[in-house]
Amino acid sequence: MARRQVKENYLGWRGWVWAGRYQAERYLYLLHRITGLGLVLYLMLHLCVMTVFRIQGQDVYETIMRLFDNPVFKAGEYLIFAAFIYHALNGLRLILQELGFILGKPTPPVYPYKDSLRKKRPIVLAMIAVVLIFVLVVLFDFVNGGF
Amino acid sequence: MLGMRHTYLWFAQLVTGALIAMFLGIHMVIMHLEDILGFFGVEIHEPTSWGSMIERAGKGSWLAFYILFLAFVLYHGLNGLRGILLELTPSAKVERIINWAIIALGIIAFALGTYVPVALFQG
Repeated sequence: MARRQVKENYLGWRGWVWAGRYQAERYLYLLHRITGLGLVLYLMLHLCVMTVFRIQGQDVYETIMRLFDNPVFKAGEYLIFAAFIYHALNGLRLILQELGFILGKPTPPVYPYKDSLRKKRPIVLAMIAVVLIFVLVVLFDFVNGGF
Repeated sequence: MLGMRHTYLWFAQLVTGALIAMFLGIHMVIMHLEDILGFFGVEIHEPTSWGSMIERAGKGSWLAFYILFLAFVLYHGLNGLRGILLELTPSAKVERIINWAIIALGIIAFALGTYVPVALFQG
């Protein structure tokens, strides 16, 4: 019985993309996961490139850096930067939420109820606004520096 | 103690997350945002060039910065990846395999990632 319960409540990979009865935060969570996976993948590539080519000296390093100096890689770098901005600010929101700073004081459950998701909605919107501002400022710098 | 293990690992995830926001913020601004730094009066020319990189590599403070940064990032990234992978299966056996694979990957990546900065620092 206990074993079957686990199976029934087990969403598997579908839980990665399907929010079900949850609200917008579930999609922020999904984006947090996608950007996280992207950043880990980039970290590993970045470590390999910066290790294998840098240790071979100036000529190899400069050749490989010239290879990356084109619009496709620049656009990729911008995506990494944008993923970092989102992941960092959403992560900061999650930390504050987890430690209880932005959830507000507990209130008695008197009708009409106000759930915590609704209480912290302004903070979620503010976070998204700050992410958009940073993403646009960085885009400006990337475009200005010549794609 | 062992039963509390996940709590400590998760708390370390939060702490490294906050630290990475600072470390990676500094790294990204220096490497990419020359125009915005220039606006604030900080002039950095071609931070990714060999000369600029060697200049940073010779400084102990940058060596410490990058080694700490690498440790935080590897912990946060790989522990996050581990959490995602563990959602795929409730099997305790697979969990053990994933844990050891992640630890091995982390150690290899940390060894590789510290080797070059230390070698360059020593000249």
